[in-house]
Amino acid sequence: MLLQSETGSLLHQDHMTTIETLQGLEELLSRHRQPPAVDEALRERLRALAATLRAEVESHFAFEEGHLFPLFVSKGESGIVMMLTHEHRSILPMALRVAELAGQAAESGFDEQNWRDFRDTGTELVEREIFHIQKEEMGLLAAISALLDETEDAGLAEIYRRTVK
Amino acid sequence: MFGGAFMMGAKDRLLPPAIPFRFFATAIVYHLVAWGVLLGAADGLPGYQGGLGPVLAALHLITLGVLAMTAMGAAYQMLPVATRRQLGPAWACSLSWWLFAPGVALLSFGLADGAPWALHGGATLAIAGLALFGGLVAGNLMRVGDLPAVTAPVWVALASLLAVLVLAGLLIADVGQGFLPDRASLAAAHGVLAGYGFMGMLVMGFSAVLVPMFVLAPAIPDAQAKPVAAIAAMALLSGAVGALSGWSWLAGAGAVLGLVAALLYLRLQRRVLAARMRKRLEPFFRLLKGGWVMLPLSLLAAGLLALGLWPEVSAPLWGLLLVVGWLLSFATGILQRIMPFLASMHSAARGGKPVLLSQLTPPPVLTLHAGAHGAALALLLASVVLDSPLIARLGALCGLAGALAFAVFAIIMMVRYRAHHRSQ
Repeated sequence: MLLQSETGSLLHQDHMTTIETLQGLEELLSRHRQPPAVDEALRERLRALAATLRAEVESHFAFEEGHLFPLFVSKGESGIVMMLTHEHRSILPMALRVAELAGQAAESGFDEQNWRDFRDTGTELVEREIFHIQKEEMGLLAAISALLDETEDAGLAEIYRRTVK
Repeated sequence: MFGGAFMMGAKDRLLPPAIPFRFFATAIVYHLVAWGVLLGAADGLPGYQGGLGPVLAALHLITLGVLAMTAMGAAYQMLPVATRRQLGPAWACSLSWWLFAPGVALLSFGLADGAPWALHGGATLAIAGLALFGGLVAGNLMRVGDLPAVTAPVWVALASLLAVLVLAGLLIADVGQGFLPDRASLAAAHGVLAGYGFMGMLVMGFSAVLVPMFVLAPAIPDAQAKPVAAIAAMALLSGAVGALSGWSWLAGAGAVLGLVAALLYLRLQRRVLAARMRKRLEPFFRLLKGGWVMLPLSLLAAGLLALGLWPEVSAPLWGLLLVVGWLLSFATGILQRIMPFLASMHSAARGGKPVLLSQLTPPPVLTLHAGAHGAALALLLASVVLDSPLIARLGALCGLAGALAFAVFAIIMMVRYRAHHRSQ
């Protein structure tokens, strides 16, 4: 990954947080075949999971689609924008669903049905989102460095700080 | 640098998927054929010192048919993406396959049978295919000035390829003529430059892109990558000149320098893994790690051979550690990851969800391949040390079982990919 741009560094930090969350989710899902009892520690974990997933979906994706991608399109790089936007469309409902199920479980625990739903959707989300982040880390961040000048980079970083963090 | 950039300026830089997959499919077929031929010729492996015959044919089916074929497909797909520069017209990439794929078959038949028409015809086609590949890659690299971690080792690989092709041409022309004063020395230099130079340096260059991408780690800093490529280049020069001239001290120095370069390269790879964001390593890393262990061991065997110690054991041991232990482990490891990766990338072409890698990849089959590959290597090494044709046959049988498993993996992957494609 190339982190020569300020915007790229900020997006990278977001990816680190998301990867950590997804790996925690993956570990939780692989450790329990049956619905786990929700104790205080797991409750906190589920709440954090729901919060991070929503942040990724609502602010990170929105920043990219609302501010970064239009700049790419204006420079003729519509291929990468189409691909990543397309992936956002498939990841977004999945992430919201996992966040919703995690939030529900934090309040009232897991039963057979919602655990199965949480496990199946969560497993697919982990794979799709990590594959997506791989592409962003290795493609998008390099592209930001290659395509944006310093002024554009600084402007985007400022918008990021106002709208995401 | 691969995934997202994969789509950047796609019309200019992305080849049709049929081109890399044609190379990969051919490599999988030659993988099967190579182990099949070796099974038939396994009795000749312990104590093998070179010379025409089915063992040499099996060796070239692996080095050219599997390793070089995989490297060509991967380079055509990866280099334009990594360097963000165009790589040749698609028809030229296709032409290199049309020259190289039948050339390998014909040359391998000639190496097994000794038929001059097959040797000369096959070598001409294979050399033409590789020369075209080298030209296309050189054309791409000449437009790149900002990626030395990738370009420096790949330039060394291309220089090695040029020397390998010249030496190969001389060795083939010498068959039946006998004009070479020391054929064995020339063959040794050819082996050093082909294994460590052409393939090894391509592995070093590709590792700088692929390994950080798969584990989500920072790229290898250019300042650390360039000295490793420089030491490796000195090692290659020393090893090849030492082998050609018969100066064993120089060949031995080449092995030592090579060991230094290999350990520095492995240290860089270890740092990449230590800094990774993705903590769970995917199963294909067992083959990469196995290959990384075999690389320095192969150089130790090369050192013994350079010093003339136990050549009846150290020569076949060196070949096995280098070709099967390091390069084939690495190539099949990378192949089992990039084929589903590319298939997944292309699966969303109609606008649906891209197919999941886990849906394309059958883990038990790949576990079988890895186990059989490891067993094959262990048994073949044991057969050389114990001078046992029976153990060599068992080793080749394991290799064939592994190659079959790998072919089944590829077939399952394509069937699942097509099912997903039809459902979109």
